[in-house]
Amino acid sequence: MIGNKFVAAMLAAGLAVASWTAGAQADPVNLTIGKLLEVTGPLSDTGPSQDKAVKLAVQFANEQAAKAGVQITAKDIGADVQGDPQAALSAARSLVDQGASCLIGPSITPESIAIANGVTIRKRVTIWPTGTSMRLRTIKDEGTIFRTVPPDSLQALALVAAAEDKLGGASGKLVSVIYRNEPYGEGLAKNFSSAWQAKGGKIQGPIVFDPAQATFDSEAGQVVANNPDAYIIIDYPDTYAKLGAALVRTGKFDPTKGFVADALALSTVPNNIPPQAIEGMRGTEGGTPTGTDAYKIFDSLWQKAGGAEHYSLDANSFDAATLCFLAAAQAKSSDPGAITDHIRSVTTPGAPKFYLTNLADALKAVDSGQKIDYIGVVGAFDFADNGDPTISLFDIFEYQKGKLVVIKQIDAARVTE
Amino acid sequence: MSLTALVLAAVVGPVAAGQATLNGLVAAGYFALGAVGLTLVFGVLRLVNFAHGDMLTFGTYVTLGVTALGLPFWPAAAVGVVATAVLAVLLDRLIWEPLRRARTSTLQLFLAATGLAIVLRYGVQFFATGQVRSVGLDTTSSVDIGPWHLGTLQLAVMLIGLVTIVLAGLGLRYTRLGKEMRAVSDNIALAEVSGIDTRRTIRITWLAAGGLAGLAGILYAAAIGSINPNFGFTILLSLFAAAILGGIGNAYGALAGGIVIGLAQEWSTLFFNPRWKPAVGFAILILTLLLLPRGIMGRGKARA
Amino acid sequence: MSADFWLGVGVTAGVYAIFVLGLQINVGFTGLLNLGQAGFMGIGAYAMGMLVTDAGWSIWAAMPVAVLVAIGAGLLVGLPSLRLRSDYFAIATIAFAEIVRYTLQNANFAGGNQGIIGFDQAWRDVADGLLNWLDRFGLGGYTQLPLFVAVWVAFGLCLAGLKLLQASPWGRVLRAIREDETAAAALGKNVLVYKLQSLGIAAALAALAGFFLSLNVTYLYPSEFDPTFTFLGYAILVLGGFASYGGVAVGAILLWAVIEGLRFLHLPLSDGQMGALRFVLIGLVLILLGMLRPQGLLGRKAEMQFSQ
Repeated sequence: MIGNKFVAAMLAAGLAVASWTAGAQADPVNLTIGKLLEVTGPLSDTGPSQDKAVKLAVQFANEQAAKAGVQITAKDIGADVQGDPQAALSAARSLVDQGASCLIGPSITPESIAIANGVTIRKRVTIWPTGTSMRLRTIKDEGTIFRTVPPDSLQALALVAAAEDKLGGASGKLVSVIYRNEPYGEGLAKNFSSAWQAKGGKIQGPIVFDPAQATFDSEAGQVVANNPDAYIIIDYPDTYAKLGAALVRTGKFDPTKGFVADALALSTVPNNIPPQAIEGMRGTEGGTPTGTDAYKIFDSLWQKAGGAEHYSLDANSFDAATLCFLAAAQAKSSDPGAITDHIRSVTTPGAPKFYLTNLADALKAVDSGQKIDYIGVVGAFDFADNGDPTISLFDIFEYQKGKLVVIKQIDAARVTE
Repeated sequence: MSLTALVLAAVVGPVAAGQATLNGLVAAGYFALGAVGLTLVFGVLRLVNFAHGDMLTFGTYVTLGVTALGLPFWPAAAVGVVATAVLAVLLDRLIWEPLRRARTSTLQLFLAATGLAIVLRYGVQFFATGQVRSVGLDTTSSVDIGPWHLGTLQLAVMLIGLVTIVLAGLGLRYTRLGKEMRAVSDNIALAEVSGIDTRRTIRITWLAAGGLAGLAGILYAAAIGSINPNFGFTILLSLFAAAILGGIGNAYGALAGGIVIGLAQEWSTLFFNPRWKPAVGFAILILTLLLLPRGIMGRGKARA
Repeated sequence: MSADFWLGVGVTAGVYAIFVLGLQINVGFTGLLNLGQAGFMGIGAYAMGMLVTDAGWSIWAAMPVAVLVAIGAGLLVGLPSLRLRSDYFAIATIAFAEIVRYTLQNANFAGGNQGIIGFDQAWRDVADGLLNWLDRFGLGGYTQLPLFVAVWVAFGLCLAGLKLLQASPWGRVLRAIREDETAAAALGKNVLVYKLQSLGIAAALAALAGFFLSLNVTYLYPSEFDPTFTFLGYAILVLGGFASYGGVAVGAILLWAVIEGLRFLHLPLSDGQMGALRFVLIGLVLILLGMLRPQGLLGRKAEMQFSQ
């Protein structure tokens, strides 16, 4: 009797385990990736390209997963954060309610902090802001905030290195600093100025301009006044179209003296920026972008899809979505907490490296439980404890004939040695 | 004005002062042209049209759309101007006329205008997306006047704007239509009684206001180089400032108001960080309302 | 959608409801078209934030002081501008609100573009305590509940206070000023003082709304205090009813249910187009409000007959 019961129990248990594991292998993962988009509001010019970036990432990842035979499909849903932290809160909630397991965006730190404090920390949903302020790291996020964009403290040092490289040192050199009046520009400009002055350089400015102004001629005049050795211009493509034209009109502007940051790192200069405003200008961006095979694939996907043109930081959003996809594939689950726990095991330094070029193989690897180091279109991540990328490698690029050409690479962490 | 310019020249040097003055006149061109339509509607209809800025946007995007179909810039601009004028009249039929007949309060009108502004702005964005667009003209060529420089396109815009405003002012003063508009703006009941077809006058006012708004938007977009659907709304308060400063209902007043605001903003950059420029405009607006409520040239009622 | 989402909408509606109580006393009962309410809100919220983060005050001490600062701003703005005709007064107040916003964005003392963070720890402790208590009833999962309750209790208290005020002799003078200012003045009432008091109370209510807004968002940033806030406030005022304090709650809840509910409207359009369409619809709602039912849902048409 006991024996039969025992056997029956064992059989039942065995069947249960078998069906459970079989079920786990047979259940495909349905992942929803949320997009926190600036559709309306003052930053609405960034919305279309970020939307497109995540869409393309999801599309490509789905194709590669099918190719690799890995049971995961993703879809993307979006919500408008309206450039306002209060609206951003409700946007994030609506996405989480509709099943989003990770949120790509938002663009500015105030929105990110509102969302983190209000929604995502509690629900263990990862968010991937494109804001670069170090302010973001003043809150305890329980490992839910990751960035694929290098924080402005590091990029400022890269700008210093780029300028020093061109000018042969900082000491005694006068540099004009101009930035668009919002958090990104302010953070970078402040960090650059203090680092430059610490090295004995001189700063003219900072000249801060309101993006909605009717003319930028007075600001442009202040940039070129006193014939500085270099100009640091922290801006976005749409306002640079206006500022750049004003700079050229001063008659004293030399673009080869100019340096820009990653928001103005565009593989091809858009039509509305006059060539005389940017030809020969140098700049910094994180990692190893536009030359690599991964970037070539990204760019061809982008061009084939039509629609929005390249804008700032779209490759970073693309990578964020891909990482989310990989983590979900490895966790074999679309549970936000599980995905959060697996982000680092798809970006483990020292593990086998995978790229966009072999994403299908990467998916196969994570499907079998392996740890990998996925290198994004913008480069390796090597997330620090706080979720910011630690790559201090920056590319110094130059605009040649309207195209971005990388001319050297530096380690920003070495700059203050 | 000229006294201030001379003082500035003494303080910061003639080159800087002169350049800032030129820059100010460029800005003045945009503000003045945008403000004329606003002031006409304000004067004739007593309507604070919060949707005016978005009419600038509408006209510009129609122009952009037409150029995408293949038409060159200037004919496309003409289409844009006409389209905005027609839109203005249509909106009057649909929204403003019923509200006038119902004698609604300032609050109701304000709400309708705000709603209309939102509908126009996001209607444009629905079709054109939030992406930045460029008119595509050459914004970099400039003319040198001694040690000072001025963009060629900016100069063209200033001249066209000036001519338009002067024509509008002359029209208001000397044509029969203009006189009727002024009569209606003074006292609509009296104008009716004296035989003026006020409905027609109002329609003409809207046609003019809409056309001027479209023209202002197109010229602004052409000279500045790149725009997105928000641009009309963001300069709206500066347009109000210019209109009120110049005196409600007065085309030359709009010109004067635009000049004061434009110059003040650009001169302020000689002493303060340019980030404060927009605040300068609003500060002038408040000071005007408090100290000079009739405006520089207006004859409007100041007190409640 | 989850209860958490709708509770969040309820918090926003509550913030706006308190804000609009201030607009109601101005427009509905004094005849003042105050378009600068968002500026007073920003001043109150930032004053609180700065006192807590820069001067180390407790948030409970900072709030009343911040309300006083906002009232002070209301008096400062009102003194020179209240003698203007009503549409000029409106424009003056909106210019003031924009100056406030630009100052908050550009002045170092206000944190500028970086905003202010970290002022809400004391409230969070209270909220967590409340949530623990609520857990006993199985409601501990509704993280929005403490703030929701706080906002609406505050609204209720303000509503009661305003109704009392309105029924008093003071309230009657206010109404008289709204109906016919010259007559009120002829009766010996100092019209300016009454108007200033109305504006001051509105500013105080704006500051209170600002506190709850900042507790909800946990970050003080200038774009939260832009004119659109005031415009939507007026939509709520008209929706809920002219000269009806209670109607403000109905208007706020309805409008925000519509605005946020529209997030879930899914048509075969791109996200960009849906976002734009959502605002087109909101704009249409505003136009309709202006055109169709001037007395709103709970207002009375008789109250609308006042000279501007």
